[in-house]
Amino acid sequence: MRKRFNCSLEKGDLLPVLLILPATLLIAVILVIPLTVGFTLSFFNFRFGSFNPAQDFVGLANYVQFFQDQTALKSVVNTLMFSGGAIFGMMVFGTIVALLLFHLPPIVSRYIRPVITMPLLISPIVIGLIWRYIYDPQGILYWVLGLFGLSIQHFPGVTGASTALFSTIVVHCWQVIPFVVIVLTAGLVSIPTELYEAAAMDGVGAWKTFWKITFPLLLDVYMVILLVTGVDTIMVFDVIFALTGGGPNNSTISTSIYAFNQAFALSNFSYAMVISTITMILSFLIFGIPFIRRNLARVGD
Amino acid sequence: MLLVIVLLLTVTPIYIVLSNSLRKTLEMKIMPPKILFEPTTIHFERLFLIDNFYRYFFNSVIISVSVTIVTIVLGTFTAYGFKICKSRVGEFVSNFLLLGKLVPPITILIPLYIMLNSVRLTGTYLGPILAHSALGLAFITWLLTSFIRNIPMELLESACVDGSTRMNTLYKIVFPMLTPVLASAVILIMRFSWNELMFSLQLTNIRTYPLTVGIARYVGAISVDWGKSSAAATIAMIPMILIGFIMQKYLVAGLSSGAVKG
Repeated sequence: MRKRFNCSLEKGDLLPVLLILPATLLIAVILVIPLTVGFTLSFFNFRFGSFNPAQDFVGLANYVQFFQDQTALKSVVNTLMFSGGAIFGMMVFGTIVALLLFHLPPIVSRYIRPVITMPLLISPIVIGLIWRYIYDPQGILYWVLGLFGLSIQHFPGVTGASTALFSTIVVHCWQVIPFVVIVLTAGLVSIPTELYEAAAMDGVGAWKTFWKITFPLLLDVYMVILLVTGVDTIMVFDVIFALTGGGPNNSTISTSIYAFNQAFALSNFSYAMVISTITMILSFLIFGIPFIRRNLARVGD
Repeated sequence: MLLVIVLLLTVTPIYIVLSNSLRKTLEMKIMPPKILFEPTTIHFERLFLIDNFYRYFFNSVIISVSVTIVTIVLGTFTAYGFKICKSRVGEFVSNFLLLGKLVPPITILIPLYIMLNSVRLTGTYLGPILAHSALGLAFITWLLTSFIRNIPMELLESACVDGSTRMNTLYKIVFPMLTPVLASAVILIMRFSWNELMFSLQLTNIRTYPLTVGIARYVGAISVDWGKSSAAATIAMIPMILIGFIMQKYLVAGLSSGAVKG
């Protein structure tokens, strides 16, 4: 009877294949084929209705155009700055909040955790809407800043080209920090308390305890957070779409936003696919190697 | 003290949008905002009576429930298929699929839009349902595969000895054991589909817009109607926050599984 659980394809056992086939087909049709089509069309000049592959082949022209296009290059710089800023913000403040919560009595943190995780459940478009109201020149942020004697001239928020990208990073962090907190908390629980007790007995300060004990032991957890949240920042779309739409003066345009606009506002589908392909290359260049190494390590254990 | 600041920073923005949905338009620009005010339901009335907003809500329900069913069923089948293969190929494939996370959604959306448009499937529910399911399937399959891996083979084999077919074993033995991880999978995939904007924006039309697209259209207007869009945002976020509160344990487990299991 044990044999019935072997995968004996040669004996005509099709059950495993039948089980796996639907998901494989779905992923092939919705993810793999579009990726191939998109990459292929980036070498053409695609137009709806009058597309002729023989005439509309342009080779690398679209890619050459990308590197001569100031807005495109700006979108790459913005995307990288957004990614760097957001990762930094999430890590620093995520760590602070996670440590704060961890040192609370369990009864208190049990009630606080659901409140803290709320932003994770809200759609980025809703979050964008909320923060647009907060950043409104007549809104609550400037009322609070006014209490400290600051006005819109000191911090123009989403309306100033110099501060708009920073303002979108703040909003993205506001949403994703709870994720960092949840994952870090899961890691903190696994650290044996004896280590902290020993450190406390030796009179080691909190700052040093973090860098000598907590951080090294959670390095792997930090790596996962970096990969999972970092990849999302390279593809940022929703928050910027809702808050600034890429403006003012393209100061917050990300590669995803630029590709979206080229495709659906200007119908430059081929050029949009060049931009989105370059977004994908960025994502693989920055996060690909650690991601692949991590996933191969998983198979080994 | 620090904790109070953290809590305030988390709750205030959410409170602002909830309270604005019940606040008179003129009072929204008064600073400081009154904590206590005379509520009005005018924004919700306009939303439902003039804008047919209930349609967006039902579209969101149709899309996210379909996505959840498709993903959970196909994900369970695939994970079980990997399991009964008894080889490590399944684990390798499910890990490999996680690489899909590195592919930006925009890279998929543009060619997918062209493909669906050429077979006249844009504007239907099918577009976002297929797109969300395919995007979610990789992670869900990985989650379920890594969980099913720990179910002892002997258990499945003894069921087999007792004369249960392999599909019966899936329903009667494996499925009940999967309940906690399935709960995590359900909340994660629902959250994703309910909140997703970019695919829905291009793959649906006026008849099939979900809530996120409805809100995006209010936000996209030249001057934002804060009352109406706050009411719309409230309708979009309340169901998900409630589900998240009820399934808090599974949400946390699902979100941290990637880091802890690794």
